Amino acid sequence: MKKHKFAKAALAAVIGLAIPTLAAAEEKLHLYNWGDYINPKVLTKFTEETGIKVSLDTYGTNEEMLAKIQAGASGYDIVFPSVHMHDIMSQLNLLEKTEIGSSPNFKNIDTQFIRASTDPKAEYCLPYAWGNVGIVYNKNKVKEITGWADMFKLAAGGEKIILLDDPRETIAIGHILNGTSVNSTDEAEVVAAAKVIKDNLKNVSAFSYDSIPLVTSGDVAAAHWYVGANIFVQQNPDVLGYIIPKEGATMYQEDMCVLKKAPNKANAKKFMEFYLKPEIAALNVEQQMNGTPNIPAQKLIPKSISGNESIYPPADILSKLQIFVDLGQDLKLYNREWTSIKTAQ
Amino acid sequence: MASLETNERRRRVILLGLLTPPTIFLAIFFLAPLAIMVIYSWLEPGLYGGVIWNFYDLNYGRILGWADSKYEKFDLVYLIIFLKSVRLALTTVFISLIICYPAAFWISRMSEGKKNLFLFLITLPFFVSLILRLFAWVLILRPTGFLNQALLGLGIITEPLHIIFTDVAVIIGMTYIFIPFMFLPLYASIEKLDLSLMEASADLGATQFQTFRRVIFPLTLPGIIGGSIIVFIPALGNFIVPSVLGGAKVMMIGNLIEQQFLSARNWPFGSALGMIVMASVLLLLIYYVKIMAREDQMTSAPAVKEVS
Repeated sequence: MKKHKFAKAALAAVIGLAIPTLAAAEEKLHLYNWGDYINPKVLTKFTEETGIKVSLDTYGTNEEMLAKIQAGASGYDIVFPSVHMHDIMSQLNLLEKTEIGSSPNFKNIDTQFIRASTDPKAEYCLPYAWGNVGIVYNKNKVKEITGWADMFKLAAGGEKIILLDDPRETIAIGHILNGTSVNSTDEAEVVAAAKVIKDNLKNVSAFSYDSIPLVTSGDVAAAHWYVGANIFVQQNPDVLGYIIPKEGATMYQEDMCVLKKAPNKANAKKFMEFYLKPEIAALNVEQQMNGTPNIPAQKLIPKSISGNESIYPPADILSKLQIFVDLGQDLKLYNREWTSIKTAQ
Repeated sequence: MASLETNERRRRVILLGLLTPPTIFLAIFFLAPLAIMVIYSWLEPGLYGGVIWNFYDLNYGRILGWADSKYEKFDLVYLIIFLKSVRLALTTVFISLIICYPAAFWISRMSEGKKNLFLFLITLPFFVSLILRLFAWVLILRPTGFLNQALLGLGIITEPLHIIFTDVAVIIGMTYIFIPFMFLPLYASIEKLDLSLMEASADLGATQFQTFRRVIFPLTLPGIIGGSIIVFIPALGNFIVPSVLGGAKVMMIGNLIEQQFLSARNWPFGSALGMIVMASVLLLLIYYVKIMAREDQMTSAPAVKEVS
C-alpha cells in the first residue's frame, strides 16, 4: 500500500515535470536590451508574423549587461551591446556566429556601420541603431545654443547645466574642446581633457541621466543628452530644443548580437532577418527617433525625422562625430580622472 | 544520575538542532560573500571585469599609499571620500536623533490606540519604493519645486534656494530614509522608562535638566547608541541618495565602490574599498560592545559610583 502511494507520488512528480517541458515547446525569444530602446510594436508584429513569443528585459549600461552575462545570467538570446562592447564580448567568446552578413536582405545595411573590428564581415552581429550625444536645452532659458563652449558660457553666466554621469562621455567633451581624440590614451591629453570639466565644475549642477524633466521644467537650462531627446522635443517643441554641438560630439551605435548560450538560436536568427526588412527598421525609428543603418528604411520614415539634421546630420557634421573604442587597460586613466573630477569641488 | 546524563545529552542534541540552521545560514549568506570579498581584494583585476588569480597588493596600495605605477597610483582622494562619507553619515545620525528623541517621548506617552497608529505611520514609508520616494524629494527640492514655491509664496525668500544636488539635499534624503531606523530602538528604550524614577528625582530636589542628565539620558543611552549605529552603518555605505539627490556631484564611498564594479570594471579595487569600510565599521562595533559591557557593570553595581 505504502509502496503504491509512493509510486503514485512519483508519477505525479514526473507529470509535474513534464508539463512545463511541454509548455516550453511553445516558441520563444528572450531579448535583453537597453531600457526603451525598441519600439514595442516591432515585437508584437514579430509575434503576429511568426507566433514566437518575445520577452524583454532591460539594462542601463553596457557594463551592467556584461557583468550579468559574465556572472552566468542565462536564458537571454539577443543582446544589444555598443560597438566597443561588441568587440569585448567577441574577445570573451560570448557571441554566437549567425552568418547574418550573408542573408540576402543584408544588402539593405550601409556597410560603414559594420564597425566592430572583431566582426568585419558581420558574421556575428547586425548593426542595429545609432545616434549622437549632444545638448538638449530649454528655449525659455536660452534662445539658442550652438556648442559645448556656448553651454559652459551659459553656465558661467549663472544658468544651471547637467552633464552625463559617465566617465568617458563627459571627459570626451574636454577632448573635443581641446581637439584631441575621445579615445586618447595619452595620459597628458586625458588629464587636460578632465581639466576642462574641472575648470567648469562649479557651474555644473549635477551629473545625471535623468535631466529631461529638469530641463523641461526650466530648473536646468541645458543638459548633455542623447539624440533620443528629440522624442521630448517633438512633444514639447516650444520649450525644448536639441542640437549637435558645432565643435563635434560623440556618437554611439548598438549592434544586435546572439549569445553563445542562447536557448533559442534559430528564433534569434529569425528576429535578425525580420529586423533587416526596411519597413520594420522604419517602424522602430518612428518611435525611437534615432538613426538606422538600413538604407531603404531611411526612405520610409517620416520626413520630420529623416529631415531632422540633429538625427540624420549632413556629411560635414557626421564627419565630426567620434565613436568610442574599447581602451582596455587605459580605461583606468579615465576612471582615475573621473574620481578626481568628482572630488575636485 | 543516569537520567541526569541523558537529560544533558538531550539538551545538547536540541541545542545542536537549534543552532545548526542559523549557523549554516550565516555561513552561506554572510561568511561566504565576505570571504569572496577578502580574496578578491588581494587579486589582480581582469581587463573586462572579474579577476586574475595573481596575488596583488596594489588595490590597497592605491588607498593606503604604496602604489605608484601608471595605472595603479596612490591617491589621497579615496580617503578623503571616505572621511566625507563619515561626516555625512554622522550628520545624518545627529539630525535623526534630534528629531526622533522628542518624538519617541511624545508617542510613548500616548494612549495605547494612538501609539499603535503612530508606530504604524512611522513604518508606512516602507510600503513605497525607495527610488520613488527619492524622486519625490527631487520634485520637492528643485528650484521650481514645492518647497521653493511655498517659501517664495510666503515671501520668506525672494530667490529660489539651491538645495538640490548639494550635501544638504543628501543629508535631508538620508535623514528622511533612516528616521524609522533611529526611531524604533529609541522608542523601545524610552517606553521602558519608569516615570516614578523621574518623580523620585524631582522629589529629591533635582532640577529638570539634572533629572535628564543623571536619570533619563543614562537610561535611554542603549537606545541612542543602538539607533545611531543602525543609522550610521547604512548611511556610510549609501550610494543611491547621493546619486539621485546629490546629482552624483556629491560622491560618497558607496558611489565609488559601485563605480568600480560597473563602469570601471575593477572588482578587486571595489572589494578593497569595501573591506576598508567594513574594517572601520567593525572597530565601531567593538567599541559599542565595550561601552555596553561597561554599562552592564555600572547597572549591576550602581552604589559605588553614585555615593560620591
